[in-house]
Amino acid sequence: MENIDLLLHGFTIAITLPHLALMVIGVLLGILVGVLPGLGAPNGVSLLLPLTFGMQPVSAIILLSSMYWGALFGGSVTSILFNIPGEPSSVATTFDGYPMARDGRPTTALATAFGSAAFGALVGVILITFLASWVAKVALAFGPAEYFAVYFLAFASFVGMGGAPPAKTVVALAIGFAIAAIGIDTVSGSVRLTMGIDELVKGVNFVVAVMGLFGIGELLIAVEEEFHARAVSSKIEWREVFRALARLPWHGVALLRSAAIGCWMGITPGGPTAASFMSYGIAKRFSSRGKHFGTGEVEGIIAPETADHAAGTSALLPMLSLGIPGSATAAVMMGGLMIWGLNPGPMLFIDQKDFVWGLIASMYVGNIVAVVLVLLTVPVFAALMRIPFVIIAPLIVIICAVGAYSVSNSYLDVLLMLGFGVVGYLFKKLSYPLAPLVLAIVIGDKAEDAFRQSMLMSKGSLGIFFANRLVTGLVVGAIALLLLPLVLQAIRSARGATPDRAKPEEIRII
Amino acid sequence: MISRRVLEVSTAALTGSFGLAVAVSSIDNGIGWSTAGVDSGTFPFLAGVIIVLGSLYNLGRGALTGAAVVVSRSDLRRLAALFVPAAIFIGVIPMIGMYLASAGYMFAVLALPKHQSLLHALVIAAATPVVLYVVFERLFLVTLPHGALAAALGF
Repeated sequence: MENIDLLLHGFTIAITLPHLALMVIGVLLGILVGVLPGLGAPNGVSLLLPLTFGMQPVSAIILLSSMYWGALFGGSVTSILFNIPGEPSSVATTFDGYPMARDGRPTTALATAFGSAAFGALVGVILITFLASWVAKVALAFGPAEYFAVYFLAFASFVGMGGAPPAKTVVALAIGFAIAAIGIDTVSGSVRLTMGIDELVKGVNFVVAVMGLFGIGELLIAVEEEFHARAVSSKIEWREVFRALARLPWHGVALLRSAAIGCWMGITPGGPTAASFMSYGIAKRFSSRGKHFGTGEVEGIIAPETADHAAGTSALLPMLSLGIPGSATAAVMMGGLMIWGLNPGPMLFIDQKDFVWGLIASMYVGNIVAVVLVLLTVPVFAALMRIPFVIIAPLIVIICAVGAYSVSNSYLDVLLMLGFGVVGYLFKKLSYPLAPLVLAIVIGDKAEDAFRQSMLMSKGSLGIFFANRLVTGLVVGAIALLLLPLVLQAIRSARGATPDRAKPEEIRII
Repeated sequence: MISRRVLEVSTAALTGSFGLAVAVSSIDNGIGWSTAGVDSGTFPFLAGVIIVLGSLYNLGRGALTGAAVVVSRSDLRRLAALFVPAAIFIGVIPMIGMYLASAGYMFAVLALPKHQSLLHALVIAAATPVVLYVVFERLFLVTLPHGALAAALGF
């Protein structure tokens, strides 16, 4: 139980007044950048970095990682309230979070999201505490074939679950892949699909696509349906916050399953985005209320949020133990580590015990600080839903324009965003599913790169996907997930029972 | 008034032409297997072909659907009331910059349809660019477009 002793020692470093103050500052700044469109944890962390040069490394990393927790929590706020996901990993939260908020229950939606996110993060930190060395080994076992298998698994768990017409799902998915391919091809270095527009070399950023598809598209649908948000009572509903949190344990199975998916996708480098989509897909398939998903189901919020934060937390481990940054934020933090005179890698755990265990302990404390602060802000954010639609609608347009622009200071992105808005409206209107489209934009090119690198390694043989136990298990699992619905249907029709189809108006295409 | 058939067919045509453009421009990147592994055009080409085939199917299905109206005249008017000002706002950003454009846009959509009192609209319209400036330009050092007008005036 050497780890426990080290952890307790870490707590004595993390729980000091200056460090707690740093956590509060970091979390508050993080929530701010998370809520603001176009700004994310990488922006906040890079801005704070120069301030940390004079600090002790452990204080500096506590400030930066607290900011990261705050940004993770803040990113869910706009997804739930305005259907604008600020980070790729909070897209899946919009599917049920936004309908629930629109239904007049923003407090419940936010509190559920934050509660399950905190649970996911906690499981992630516990995993790091006890399995640090084992986790590092798993991450090292990952080559291109395994990467591809993980992405394939994420697609398999998600595709075909939305109840949309199959041909439309396929078209949406393929469009996503094509958009992901725009720009420089990372394997060969050649420029693809720019259609003569030089600026497209940088590719189409995910945020640009999502702000248009979800933000503007949803706005157009809303005005067309003459939608008015259900009145939100003006009282600050603290009781509702606690009621939502107290209800979480009833969904224990969903919480544990989502946390497991999240941790798995975090340490294998699938990442938080793939984790949240996969967790949502699996929750929909196995929940007894699966067909109500998309209309504001509690488990539809729990599943992606828990997995997102579990993955986000456990993904910090490969950064520390192997020196592989899993995300832009982690890359900036690693830059910081080197400036402070530390070398990320296996030796860090031996040479810098105070730093590593101080950081791990601060993850426990920092997440508790973050969830308390963020719950305190719930009534403030929920109050935003009371602003009249005539004011909120142009504000959302401005926010989307500013957000799209600030991604890479490009006006072309703003135009693209508006174009995606029209596409989002048309697709939503004609029940083309948006989720496969977005999933393909986010992880499509990574999946393609992994596939092509595997093909290079195996000289064109598909046998590489069955070369060892790990990759075979992943591929077989993915195929099983793809075939499961077909098999179940076959069994049902063999028994002569009519398949229980949900009434059309109950199905929300996602 | 727009019928479901028209909307289905034009969306399928839109996705189909995107697919065609993707497939055609991928051929230049090379498709198939070469000494450097899978050529860079292969996957976009396949995606393009799949989009075209799927769109053709959707086009056929769409042409057979009923002519029921899905977007009525008043729906269309409300859509235009949101979309046209938004498109103008985005269109003028390169000329007058994000700050002036956002203030003007806010004022136009609030004051002209008389949703808000003139004073109310003016206050909101003036506050929008100030908040944008403080948060983005000051706090997070993200420069928003100032526009050709500001450049001409020497900002």
